[in-house]
Amino acid sequence: MDKDQIQQDLIKIVGKSRVLTHDLDLMYYSYDSSFLTKLEPKTPYAVVFPHSTQEVQRIVQYAYDHKINLIPRGAGTGETGGCIAINGGIVLDLASWDEIIEVDAENMQVLVRPGVIHAHLNEELAKYKLFFPPDPGSSKMCTIGGMVANNASGLRAVKYGCTEQYILGLEMVTATGDIIYTGGMKARCIKNVSGLNLTKLMVGSEGVLGIITGIRLRCWPKPEARGIAMAVFDQLDDAPTTVLEVYQAGILPSGIEILDSSAIWAVNQFKPEIQLPDAEAILLFEVDGNPPGVQYDGEMIKKIAGKRAREVEWSTDPQRMAELWEGRSVTATAAARIRDDGSRIFAGEDISVPLSRVADTLRSIRALADQYGVQVVNYGHIGDGNVHTAPVINPENPEEVEQVLKLVHEIHLLAIEMQGSTTGEHGVGVVRRPYAELEHGKAVQYMQRIKTVFDPQGIMNPGKLF
Amino acid sequence: MDFQKIPPVRDQLMKCVRCGKCRSVCPVFTEVKNETAAPRGHVFMVQMLRDGKVQPSEELYERLSICLMCENCTVNCPSGIDVHELNAAARSYIYDQNPTLGKEVVFDTMWTRPGLLKGSTRLLWGTQRLGLQKLARSLGLTRILPGDLPKAEKILNKVPFRSARQRLPEVNPARGQKKYTIGYFLGCGTDLLQPSVALATVDVLTRNGCEVIVPKDSRCCGLPQIANGKMDTARRLMAHNIKIYNSYDFDYIVTDCASCSSALSRKNLEFLLGGLKIEDQAFEFAEKVMDLSYFLIHVLDLQLPELKDIETVRVTYHDPCHLANAQDIKEEPRELLRRIPGISFVDMEEANTCCGGSGTYSLTHYDISMKILDRKMDHAMATGADLLATSCPSCMMQLNYGINRHHWQAKVVHPIQLLSEYYQRVPVINQ
Repeated sequence: MDKDQIQQDLIKIVGKSRVLTHDLDLMYYSYDSSFLTKLEPKTPYAVVFPHSTQEVQRIVQYAYDHKINLIPRGAGTGETGGCIAINGGIVLDLASWDEIIEVDAENMQVLVRPGVIHAHLNEELAKYKLFFPPDPGSSKMCTIGGMVANNASGLRAVKYGCTEQYILGLEMVTATGDIIYTGGMKARCIKNVSGLNLTKLMVGSEGVLGIITGIRLRCWPKPEARGIAMAVFDQLDDAPTTVLEVYQAGILPSGIEILDSSAIWAVNQFKPEIQLPDAEAILLFEVDGNPPGVQYDGEMIKKIAGKRAREVEWSTDPQRMAELWEGRSVTATAAARIRDDGSRIFAGEDISVPLSRVADTLRSIRALADQYGVQVVNYGHIGDGNVHTAPVINPENPEEVEQVLKLVHEIHLLAIEMQGSTTGEHGVGVVRRPYAELEHGKAVQYMQRIKTVFDPQGIMNPGKLF
Repeated sequence: MDFQKIPPVRDQLMKCVRCGKCRSVCPVFTEVKNETAAPRGHVFMVQMLRDGKVQPSEELYERLSICLMCENCTVNCPSGIDVHELNAAARSYIYDQNPTLGKEVVFDTMWTRPGLLKGSTRLLWGTQRLGLQKLARSLGLTRILPGDLPKAEKILNKVPFRSARQRLPEVNPARGQKKYTIGYFLGCGTDLLQPSVALATVDVLTRNGCEVIVPKDSRCCGLPQIANGKMDTARRLMAHNIKIYNSYDFDYIVTDCASCSSALSRKNLEFLLGGLKIEDQAFEFAEKVMDLSYFLIHVLDLQLPELKDIETVRVTYHDPCHLANAQDIKEEPRELLRRIPGISFVDMEEANTCCGGSGTYSLTHYDISMKILDRKMDHAMATGADLLATSCPSCMMQLNYGINRHHWQAKVVHPIQLLSEYYQRVPVINQ
């Protein structure tokens, strides 16, 4: 169908002020954080900003009638090309639909629209002494809708798990234009095992089944106290061993993060005031709960980590804790600082491996990086085996691009070989789709058949996930 | 200078990973809520421009100029990208391909010649004084002005008749023993719109042993030209100013205008003049440039005796972007205010977020500018302050408009005015 016609039709549906049609404006929607779109940005036919479920429904019905691809988008902070119109189509930018409809503090839940920013939600919930525990590094910009679509987690998944554990129900528009309510979207109960669990099916579905327009989230009481222990290691291998020893002592921190020597250097370049010590690896343990419990956990971690670590710093000072946590959360992009003419790229960056094989994995990644001549920074959520590798290259040098693409392919294969997964929390999108068969085998066919039920024409975010 | 060879264009474009952190700190994005206002989007477009994948068109210029150059993205960028410099370089490149007569007149002719600029403000003063502005408004004549100017012309209220330069002698001797010879960089905004700030600056400095020279042939710092796609004009202005100021033997070159001190800073001169012949002279000049509050705290270390029977006023402070973001000067103006007897200082929320003024931005992007201003005023008013202080004449103009817009009974001041008032109550000190 003619692009101009699509644009004119969309204007009729939502009005001129909420459709982008100029070629230059559309180019702003040709990328996310993935290396893929840095190499090959793809421009949609139009971008539309719906602000009601009915508007989404009308757009979907229009797209269904004319067989036009639909690509939902949050903040565009994903690393997989998941929100990009790789085969053309209409992008639905849901980020400006950012209403917190209701905080039901009595029932410990909140009802939001997809564009609410994670950090803003927690600022609002804090007024009720509640919080939404998953804590992605992109908290200040990512949207709840994007988190649900990718089943995001982040720095506190060790104790609090992923987004899926907090979704009580969803409102969504399927690719046929039906509005459906899953799970407890229209209820207010917390426990609910009624019916097939469509909510879980939607969480992490990356927009291939429909468009999420409303989210009922479960919230937890905000812990009163918090503390952070930083353990500094001269041997990389001592870090994963220490993590296991902390668990074995019956301690469950809310987060356990690792930064290797290059990550430490990069963070110190970006935020010198944090003053991370030079070391082979640093572990950051976050514990939260009631004040005596936090103190006990902190002392235990100090004792256990102290056996292998060169030093252990335990802090409950809010400013110091904020610095350390900020240092970790900016590592993702600050990694580029290890090389003057380099850029961190998001590719092969999210593998998940068994806890018992984290050390082997880190060693193997280093060896692979040496083999392909690519500098890498390793960091991640070591407490749940989620390793983030940041290759740092000059993306304008074709030889380096070629080498790094080989490296990230090897890293994905390594994850599967280690009995892990190619992605722990960032999702599949376009970039990890080639590994679907290898990871899921015949189950991929069932995924495709499920998709057909929701999306008989195959218009919902095609080319992603499987 | 060749667009591709400008340092950030050459070295930084490939560093952007499009992480989107800039979305969370950009005041324009906060209001527009759409990727076309995201700083990372502008970086992407500059890359497309460099690679010839988009044309240097006026339409592209329009998109890039939605950024108000507050530099909040730059200071928060984990990849260390000078986003505002990339944007400015692109604007300049695009403008060179699409020159317009209007801009030539404003930024090349009028704004580079102090006499003409003064003449224009006189004309504005005259129309305001005679009520012609009101008449023009009621007849709808202001609606024929370009862009957002019909709405924005109200911001330029109460232009003073006499500029600071007309009131100040070139040489202002130190009162008491002379400690320093200061070159006072009197910016256009202070000179023409806030002359009382300039008088206060000279008053305070001379009271504290500074001989203050106001070089006659000093011209605009070039920042309005950089923001409006006229980098070559900014280079010419800068070269002129460097020559003038380097011909004196100043201990320091001080300015009360945040935008001027950022324009004259080494960082900006590296961007503008890096790699050119004049580079060394420029850096020699930049070594001496200092923000007024920084000078008063770190060089003079002003100590101000308490006064008897003094009423306490509550003062809050708005960080000009060109001071806080461009130069990381946040504490000094606050410290200065705290040191002035009779001032009870209270910080506002988001003090270090743009007021939406940004030089000519409020005139070219009135609606966005007002949304940003309203947010700023909400935070300022919540402090219950009697005075809203800031260290930039452009911010002062915008905030003045803000207090009128919100019917707030506070007054906008520059910290140096409060300091000068303090001294006038204690005439025996430092006379």
